[in-house]
Amino acid sequence: MIHRLHRVLLVAALLLPWLNTALADQLDDIRKKGEIVIGVLGTDEPNSFVDPKTRGYIGYEVDLATAIAKKIGVKPVFRQMAVAARIPELQQGRVDLLAASLTHNKEREAQIDFSLTHFITGSKVLVVKRSGVQKLSDLAGRKVLTVKGGTQEPNLKRAVPTAQVVTFENTQQAFQTLRQGKGVGYVNDESSLYSDIGKLGPQASEYVLLPENLNFEPLALGIRKGEKALKAIVDATLREMEANGDAERLYERWWGQQSRLKFAKRTFKFDSDQVAQ
Amino acid sequence: MPAFELSLLLSGPYHALLLAGLQVSLALLAVSFAVALPLALLVALAGQAPLAPLRGLAVVFVESQRSVPLLAHLLFWYFGAPELLPPDARQWLYEGDVEFLAAVIALSLYYGAYMAEDIRSGLRAVPVEQLQAARSLGLGFLPAMRHVVLPQAVRITVPPLLSQTLNLWKDTSIATVIGTAELMHQAAKVETESFRSLEAFAFATVCYLAVSLAIAAAAAGCQRRLAPGWRP
Repeated sequence: MIHRLHRVLLVAALLLPWLNTALADQLDDIRKKGEIVIGVLGTDEPNSFVDPKTRGYIGYEVDLATAIAKKIGVKPVFRQMAVAARIPELQQGRVDLLAASLTHNKEREAQIDFSLTHFITGSKVLVVKRSGVQKLSDLAGRKVLTVKGGTQEPNLKRAVPTAQVVTFENTQQAFQTLRQGKGVGYVNDESSLYSDIGKLGPQASEYVLLPENLNFEPLALGIRKGEKALKAIVDATLREMEANGDAERLYERWWGQQSRLKFAKRTFKFDSDQVAQ
Repeated sequence: MPAFELSLLLSGPYHALLLAGLQVSLALLAVSFAVALPLALLVALAGQAPLAPLRGLAVVFVESQRSVPLLAHLLFWYFGAPELLPPDARQWLYEGDVEFLAAVIALSLYYGAYMAEDIRSGLRAVPVEQLQAARSLGLGFLPAMRHVVLPQAVRITVPPLLSQTLNLWKDTSIATVIGTAELMHQAAKVETESFRSLEAFAFATVCYLAVSLAIAAAAAGCQRRLAPGWRP
């Protein structure tokens, strides 16, 4: 009898903190603590990385999270974490919000909630200007180069079924083949393409990046499942930033022309938390 | 997921991809063989020629081809050599099927060197007195080779040449590194698209095996027919 009582008490004691966090509204807790804990990667320029001068975290996602903390009226506290640890850390309540280069996809929706999409990345095609190719459909029947085994080739084939795709062991061989003029286009992830273009130096003017994405990979902030009040204020902050132009300014500062990466103009808005299959 | 989906290989888009790959592989074999064999004969004859510079040239060619891996040859003929051409010729070349052409050049030269060595050993197996006797009857070097030495050498050379052809067939698969859309390239592509690794590589294996066995059977047949005393 006593044993059984012990066991019940033990289970209750173990469940208590969990029940506590599950029942209380997280937004109230954040306000009570006076701080919001934000999980960042801290090594992923320009989303979140360490400023060599101040030793603090800076970046696009850091600025977004800071704006959210300001809106709630609390102090932002950044905590660095590994890619694989992001979702478990959020689910176990060690962080309140994830701003960690997190891709929003359908599989993850079962585990956590997502804010509005705050960035869209994907594969693009770099083409030789002389070839006259100006849009994806112009690649029909032309020779396009890329790496073997990635998502690049299937994505291109889906967009332009008649393109003649030639694949290589690694992206740099495919890029070299483009530079030698053996094809009209070269497919890679957008951010890698910008670094490839950087390697071209003055020859970069002979190439042009097609504006269309071959696929979309939306990034969003992660919120623990069911925290409706927190999600509402996060999304409201992002919408406000879109309306007052802060979203555009942050993009230009971290990704666009003022940044090292020199991404082309922003083609998305903070307006949806839905993703395709 | 069924363990092995045979229907994937017998019809549909993946079947078409793999079959296209098999065609390219067979074309690589046929064209490379057609270039390599006459080249090998020329080099072997040059190696026996009465002119010392010609013999030197043959040795340089054979050693430079045999001492460097085929992979390096392929990368050289695809990425390196065309850059030495004048821009117009290069442009013309790049508009064609440069992946196939570079593979054929690399394979032909490489196997030309190996086959030249096979032919040379066949020539050396014919007693030197045969050539001397032919020359003393007033035949020149080339007629003596053609009418007296080569007919005897071919009998000895055909089996190793066929075994070299078998190696050539298997090595067409290395052309995948320069993007030639041959059988291994297409099998890897089908694997990436369908995640059916077993089916894709089983198809490639069966194709390589079938053609290899056919070449081996031809070798055995030749050996029988070329044996001294064989009459049809």
